[in-house]
Amino acid sequence: MVELEYPDIQGLILSGYGHLPCATYVLLRVEDGPAARRWLARILTEVTSAERKQDKASVNVAFTRQGLEHLGLDADTIQTFSRAFSEGMATEHRSRILGDAGEDEPAKWNWGGPDRTKAVDILLLLFAVDELELDSLIGRHRASFSQEGIAEVSALAAGRQPDNREHFGFADGMGQPAIENTSPGKKAAARNLLKAGEILMGHINTYDKVADGPTVRADRDPRRLLRDGEPGLRNFGHNGTYLVFRQLAQNVADLYHFLDEATRTPTGQLDPDASSRLAAKFVGRWPSGAPLVLSPTKDDPSMADADDFGYFDQDPRGFACPIGAHIRRSNPRDSLGPDAVKGLASANRHRILRRGRSYGHRLENPRVDDGAERGLHFICLNSDIERQFEFVQQTWINNPVFGGLHGEVDPVIGYVARGDAIMTIPADPVRTRVHNIRRFVTVKGGAYFFLPGIRALRYLASL
Amino acid sequence: MTHTVLTFVAPVNPQKVDELRSLLNEIGKDVPGNRHIPFTSFRLLHFASLWLIEGTDVDGYEPQFVFESNFDGPLDTYLDELFDRAADALHLLYGCCVDYLGTNAGDRALIVSYLRAHVLRPNASYIGTAGRTLERVKQESALIDGLQLCLDDLVKKGEAGSPPRSIREKLQAFVRTRPELVWALNSPRRLTSAEQFMPWVRIIGGALIAVVLLLVFFPIVLLAVIELRYKETHDPPTPKEDKSHTKKLADREDRTHIVQNHMAHITLVKPGLFRQAILRTVLWATNLVAGISIKGKLLGIPSIHFAHWSLIDNGRRLLFVSNFDGSWENYLDDFIDKGSIGLTAIWSNTVGFPSTRFLFCDGAKDGVRFKAFARDNQRYTNAWYSAYPDLTVQTIDNNSNVRDALFAPLDDTATREWLWRF
Repeated sequence: MVELEYPDIQGLILSGYGHLPCATYVLLRVEDGPAARRWLARILTEVTSAERKQDKASVNVAFTRQGLEHLGLDADTIQTFSRAFSEGMATEHRSRILGDAGEDEPAKWNWGGPDRTKAVDILLLLFAVDELELDSLIGRHRASFSQEGIAEVSALAAGRQPDNREHFGFADGMGQPAIENTSPGKKAAARNLLKAGEILMGHINTYDKVADGPTVRADRDPRRLLRDGEPGLRNFGHNGTYLVFRQLAQNVADLYHFLDEATRTPTGQLDPDASSRLAAKFVGRWPSGAPLVLSPTKDDPSMADADDFGYFDQDPRGFACPIGAHIRRSNPRDSLGPDAVKGLASANRHRILRRGRSYGHRLENPRVDDGAERGLHFICLNSDIERQFEFVQQTWINNPVFGGLHGEVDPVIGYVARGDAIMTIPADPVRTRVHNIRRFVTVKGGAYFFLPGIRALRYLASL
Repeated sequence: MTHTVLTFVAPVNPQKVDELRSLLNEIGKDVPGNRHIPFTSFRLLHFASLWLIEGTDVDGYEPQFVFESNFDGPLDTYLDELFDRAADALHLLYGCCVDYLGTNAGDRALIVSYLRAHVLRPNASYIGTAGRTLERVKQESALIDGLQLCLDDLVKKGEAGSPPRSIREKLQAFVRTRPELVWALNSPRRLTSAEQFMPWVRIIGGALIAVVLLLVFFPIVLLAVIELRYKETHDPPTPKEDKSHTKKLADREDRTHIVQNHMAHITLVKPGLFRQAILRTVLWATNLVAGISIKGKLLGIPSIHFAHWSLIDNGRRLLFVSNFDGSWENYLDDFIDKGSIGLTAIWSNTVGFPSTRFLFCDGAKDGVRFKAFARDNQRYTNAWYSAYPDLTVQTIDNNSNVRDALFAPLDDTATREWLWRF
């Protein structure tokens, strides 16, 4: 068993910083490479590693491909990053598989799209125990940006609702995988355990191979700041991961209006119970977090954290949790294929660690829009963007024929490719179908980042 | 009713490669609406691809034009349909090929015999929707769409709680009142007894012959295994993926809202008689296994409509074409998780495949290298046609199963289970 080298791993990989409820994600642009490297060298001591929990504040930092270029990383090294990271999120093919068309197309994004003035080089993630602490943390960092060749593109406030619910009103963050042999891993069910290489480059992954990461030619690292790799190479990626960031605005009132209209009785009356039930069918969990598979007919807060279930034996037809429900699409567990054990093993090759947080104030009355923007800063970590994050989006979430369905969409975040987007709610003996589902989220920005190990950060600062 | 799967492969005049490429790209840009081949009016064709194998200076191969066709019935009726609907296009496309002597598009005899002369029957092939003609696939899809809407109506009227039997009777009544659905009143068998029976005869016969040969030539087989192990440990490693090539391929994919994709693939067979013999044997066995796989799955992979393997260039290269459901990543994962033994046995005889043990082991299990190998050898499909781009093999099967049981006598349990199919 290989012990992870905690001092070399950024803290966000092992912890979602639940004890630091306030956060801001600062998007930065490099204006002057050498100056920005000095900035990086200076904040190095502040970057939180996985070694020690910081009680009051944590700082992590990640880079886009352009960011690495602007900091002066050589082209040969850039070449060794994965194709997805090098090309970035806003390519034609990626827009197709991620569903970034129409209102969601990258040209309309606030950041990360093709517009060069909105390009992002660096993501600085700041977390604090309260707003006061966060303000002083941001203030301190902001004060030095301009002298150190850094410009602020945007500062995205992110919080965590006191009850851990996202804006549609559902508890969030259950069913996370964890890296084996870590403290989160010790608490996780076997089903949710991931080989370290699924998240951390340079470690053994699900195929029992070392997860690929970028490398630097040995002669470019004369001070031997990086770990040795294959002959003549140093591992720049070791203990790093890819961080996927998508800002998803949630159109809360629109969803609730849709649910209400879709559940009118045959005589045209509103049916609040049916509306709440349909919301739960969309998600696959009740607002408390209780999964439909374990509590099919009503919410049961005592099961709020329950996650020990499968679909293959417990709900093969989707009578409790529809085949196309959001949580079943995002992680089909053991349900795909003729065999539960193999099904689970193949689904587990596509897990991601979610590290996102909500932003914006909660809508007081979810049926009355207040015009304010709110949503989710979706952040996830994975060592292979194509096999993990993109696969989930492309093959499960946005797949109209997921799990044997036909012409359907993910009802919560799905992308509506054509006219009548439907969702089937299986029931015995007859299913119902929900028609003309709209998209209830809008993509506002996004990018692929590299979240390096601490050694690699030091190397980058030393260039 | 059986399908025919084959490719027409013709050598391209090197001076006309650019002309052919731009023609094919023009067709590929808008396949249903292109002005050359009116695919949507074809009545026999399920899937087709038209693409150029670019010549390579390295290996000295001349450019070739591949026209993959997966259609209903025998070759003759398809050639008739092809000529009747696309004679001008055929004349134009094959006019870019070295050995084409046609002077005008009206020369039926010449064009048809040219095509016939360039038919390449695959060494192994698989059909996911066994026994369903294009007409039947489309009819059954329309039938189920109609029944779904009828069911929506019943649910809206509050009849979801009625006994399953009475719901089914209402659906049956709906079909009876529709003259355009009269064909659905009965359900002919997908395959004749002979069509179901013969593949079993072939595979059992094949297995017997294989066992006998194995016993008779046991010492030689043993030597062959040792030889294979030696060769396996001395193969060069898989080259690194060419990212710009992969980008070009990926940019082409998922245009049918991710429902279906196409893959064309060419690999260089490892030199020597030894690998040639193994590859031919494995393809022969694959073909026998594919023949009995009539339930929509090949080695447990549920997403393949039509796939074929053909040796080209006198066996020096292996051509693979596949029309599959879902994303490329998902297809390759199925290969790795479900079909790795079979495809390792095939592609380990070609250059660049991840290292293997005893023909079947490792190889494709090395997911990252296997995907790099698959991408590097994948060819750009200039034009690709699907007659039903929103239907998966699973959906086609489900539609057929609904139709088969629509008027069949069912007990209460079977009636409920039938309703679950909607």
